[in-house]
Amino acid sequence: MVLEATMICIDNSEWMRNGDYSPTRFQAQADAVNLICGAKTQSNPENTVGVLTMAGKGVRVLVTPTSDLGKILACMHGLEIGGEMNLAAGIQVAQLALKHRQNKKQQQRIIVFAGGPVKYDKKVLEMIGKKLKKNSVALDVVNFGEEDEAKTEKLEALVAAVNNNDSSHIVHVPAGSNALSDVLLSTPIFTGDGEGGSGFAAAAAAAAAGGVSGFDFGVDPNLDPELALALRVSMEEERARQEAAAKKAADDSSKQDKEGASSSQDATMSENVATSASESENKKDDLMDDENALLQQALAMSMDDPATTTVNTRDTDMSEAAADDQDLALALQLSVQEGAKDQSGETDMGKLLADQSFVSSVLASLPGVDPNDPSVKDLLASMQNQPEKKDEDKEEDK
Amino acid sequence: MACLHDHSCEDHDCSSDWSLYKHIDIPKVSALNEAVPGSVKSVFKAWEQRLSSSEGFLESNEGDPELIVFIPFTSDVKIKSISIVGGADGTSPIKMRAFINREGIDFSDAQSMQAVQEWDLAENLQGVLEYQTRYSRFQGVGNLTLHFPDNYGGDTSRIQYIGLKGEATQLKRDVVATIVYELMPNPSDHKTKSETGGGMSHVE
Repeated sequence: MVLEATMICIDNSEWMRNGDYSPTRFQAQADAVNLICGAKTQSNPENTVGVLTMAGKGVRVLVTPTSDLGKILACMHGLEIGGEMNLAAGIQVAQLALKHRQNKKQQQRIIVFAGGPVKYDKKVLEMIGKKLKKNSVALDVVNFGEEDEAKTEKLEALVAAVNNNDSSHIVHVPAGSNALSDVLLSTPIFTGDGEGGSGFAAAAAAAAAGGVSGFDFGVDPNLDPELALALRVSMEEERARQEAAAKKAADDSSKQDKEGASSSQDATMSENVATSASESENKKDDLMDDENALLQQALAMSMDDPATTTVNTRDTDMSEAAADDQDLALALQLSVQEGAKDQSGETDMGKLLADQSFVSSVLASLPGVDPNDPSVKDLLASMQNQPEKKDEDKEEDK
Repeated sequence: MACLHDHSCEDHDCSSDWSLYKHIDIPKVSALNEAVPGSVKSVFKAWEQRLSSSEGFLESNEGDPELIVFIPFTSDVKIKSISIVGGADGTSPIKMRAFINREGIDFSDAQSMQAVQEWDLAENLQGVLEYQTRYSRFQGVGNLTLHFPDNYGGDTSRIQYIGLKGEATQLKRDVVATIVYELMPNPSDHKTKSETGGGMSHVE
């Protein structure tokens, strides 16, 4: 979240026609520039970014530091490739452009894309670096394109001269199948010394990996967090409902496995919920009435939604594991039977279900249900008996 | 603590004179060409601690003795005199140039601009020398920039203490922070009494 004004120095020299970065070096560079501009403006809305070209007829400032992303992207169109990169002049002009930024509170940063060969001496570059450090300007260098021992050494020396407290970085990107932007995403140039832009970088990385928009449900969590959250919650609920419906369709024998497969003994509450969930399934089977069954399930879920859904997911996972190991299944069964008698964690759900008036009021509010329907009444009666039966068991144990 | 001034100190307490440091907005103090970022803040302290370097000191980068110190104040001040305690072995600054109420001065600006006042400094290791200002030019100072272009021959420049003597007015130069800008006028925000049904205006 550092408030920063950035000048990006683009290399549009003849060496950028080369195709060793796909599709061309110049295009890869342009993509990377777009990404950087987005990351900077997103990490802090008051950040400004400017662009200049170093080759061609001479150093030319395309856009002075601005926070308008559209202007920056527009100026990247129609750039011509030609000439030779003039690194020293480019950096000096960038420094001048930053000096005349509107908001003096912004930190100054220059990002240089060094594709072509560097014709300046190491000494000259070190002097430039010292001058940048003196005026507290940070410098990031992306070394790509021409690979040359001398060039690498010179650029390393330049960044070492500027570096003050790890604010300047140099990144070497060799040619290969990885796109230039992808490689840059993981570097400190994007992550901004570990803070700030990492959120954008992570999202963009997911986008790059996924290929499509990358964001869940096509909504950017940064842009619209409430919508993203609502979408995610409804997805989970839908998934849980589908799983519960699938579980209901399973036969009785697998019910035992599910009871056994529920969580460890420590979580007696969840076990109670599991037993009551399976008991509610008993009731459903007893009724043999689809509408009432679905109703009951909805009731159970609405009463104790999170616990039931998590148990459901766990059940489906564990049932396979239990099936593999018969001894394990037996042990789990024994443990669950003990748990069923243990009333210590009796949930609110049980109490709620026992409260007949509450249940009948809920049923009455549901469409298509007649509380006077005999099957419903039987259901309520059986539910009422359930907690009483559990109480009896508990007293027996004691 | 002996003042070593040429007046007798029983009459007044020297430390209270040099109390303008209390009106400095320390978090916003910045320096250019400092070796350790943030070390400039340790230079503003009470008169009694002017010689102690326990909290560090301001040092310039290797081989480059130039320093610029930017000092914003929490309210407008009037500066009567300035005291500088430098370092030993030629690291003390030899010249000081002051600019007032200009933000974002860097080295090229400082070298080309006309300073409000310039002083030739002596190696003031005990902190007993003070440099008077042309007081009329230092009224209503919101921020002060000190430029030290050169030192006594050392490899770096070192400053242990910067003391300011003067008085603070209560005027603040705060930028107005909470303004609501209207992009388009909303008539409901601008209803007058007559439009909302009229109030009784009393004419006495």
